[in-house]
Amino acid sequence: MKTIHIRQSFLGERSHELFTGVRIGVVGLGGGGSHIAQQSAYLGIGHFAFFDPDFLDFPNLNRTVGATLADANAKTPKVAVAERVVKSVNSDAEVWAIQTEWQKDFDSLRACDAVFGCLDGFSQRAQLEESCRRAMIPLIDIGMDVHKGDPYSISGQVVVSMPGLPCFRCVGFIRAKDLDEEGRRYGVAGGNPQVVWSNGVLASTAMGIFVQMLAPWCPIRSGSRFIGYDGDGFTLEHDSRLTVASQTQCTHFTSISDLGDPFWNP
Amino acid sequence: MNVHFKLTVALLGGIVADLRRPHPFAAERAGFIGCKVSRCRDGLLVLAHTYMPLPDDWYADDQRFGCVFNSHAMRAAMQFALTNDASMFHVHLHDHKGFPWFSRPDIRESARYVPDFWNVKPMLPHGTLVLSADAAAGLCWYPEINKPIRISRITAVGFPIRFLGGSF
Repeated sequence: MKTIHIRQSFLGERSHELFTGVRIGVVGLGGGGSHIAQQSAYLGIGHFAFFDPDFLDFPNLNRTVGATLADANAKTPKVAVAERVVKSVNSDAEVWAIQTEWQKDFDSLRACDAVFGCLDGFSQRAQLEESCRRAMIPLIDIGMDVHKGDPYSISGQVVVSMPGLPCFRCVGFIRAKDLDEEGRRYGVAGGNPQVVWSNGVLASTAMGIFVQMLAPWCPIRSGSRFIGYDGDGFTLEHDSRLTVASQTQCTHFTSISDLGDPFWNP
Repeated sequence: MNVHFKLTVALLGGIVADLRRPHPFAAERAGFIGCKVSRCRDGLLVLAHTYMPLPDDWYADDQRFGCVFNSHAMRAAMQFALTNDASMFHVHLHDHKGFPWFSRPDIRESARYVPDFWNVKPMLPHGTLVLSADAAAGLCWYPEINKPIRISRITAVGFPIRFLGGSF
C-alpha cells in the first residue's frame, strides 16, 4: 500500500489493489460529478470514464470542484477539468475524458465496473439505468433540487440500482407520471438552482456506498440503497419505499433479453 | 481480447449451492449458464443470466472422471442457446480456497463439447468456468478463433462486489 493511502488501510489489505484496478464511470461532470471525480482520485481509483458534452461556464463556477475562473473564460470542457483534478492527485490514473453524450459511447460505459449518475431529469436516469443493467453495472445515482416556494426547500437523494435487485422503478424513484410530466416540460426547464454544499453531501454519501460495495469496512446489509436528503434539516434517511420494494424481486429487468447487446455481431 | 465474465452474487450463490450437492455416483456436479454478450471498449462482456442444473439422471456413471454428463444435458443446453440466442458456459466446482484451474481431462473434454454450441449459435462465444470456494477461472471460445481465450476477469456483482479471478 502506498504511503499516500496508509490512513485508509482499515479498508483491507487488498483495498488499494481493488481501487487501482477498477474503472468508474461518471456521467455528468457538473456539481455532483465533479465531487465524485475528486473524491475518487483521493481514494486511489485507477481508471476513469468521464462523460459530459458541456463546457465550463460562469454559472457552473459556484459548484464545480476544481474549476477555475480561467476555465470559465476559456470554456474548458467539463471532462477536461475533471481529468485535470484526477491527474493532479494521481498522475498514473487512466482517464477517458469523453466529451459527448454518454449515449454516443456505449462501449466506454460498458467497460466500467460501477457508474455514478449525476444527471438531471428522470428520462436520462431511466436510460442510464437501462444501459447499466444491460452490462450488469451497479449504478449510483445522485441528485438534488431546490424547490421554489415560500420558503425555498432543498432535497435530494442517493439511489443505487444493483443488477439483480430492485430497480429505480421498483423503489418508486422513477415513475411513469414523472416521465410524462418531464416530457411535457421538455425544453422549458431552464437552469435549476444548484449549490455546492448539498452536492457535496450527496456525492460523499455516494462515494461511501461505493467504497462499502468494494471494500466493506463493517458488516453490510445486502440489498439496494435509497437514501433521501433533507437539505433544510441536514439529515440523510433511508427511504421507506425501499423497505417495501426490497421484499420483492425486480419486475422490470428480469428477462435474458434485458442483458447484453441487442445488436450483437462478433 | 479481454473477456470479462459477470454474474450476480445471488446467481453465484445458487450455482455453488447446486454444485455442492452430493450426487448418487458422480464425484462432481456440473451445470450450464445461459449468458448474453456485449462489446465494450476494452473487450467483451459475458453476462450470466440463467443457471441450468443437471438432473441426477443426466450424469453418466464413468468412474474414470469426476463428472460425465450424457446427451440429454448437451441437448437441453443447446436448446436453451437456440431459444434464447444465448452464449453457453459450462460450470463446475473445485471446492477449495484459492484460484482454481482446469484438470487435463477438463480441458480436453471442453475443447470437444464447447465448440458444439456453434452448431446452434455460431456467432456467439461459448465457454467453460471452474469455480472454487472463493475464486474462479474460465476459458472462452470466440467465433472464428480456434484456441480458447483465458477469461481475464470474473466478477460477482452485488453487495459487496466480488472479483473472483483474472486481473484481481
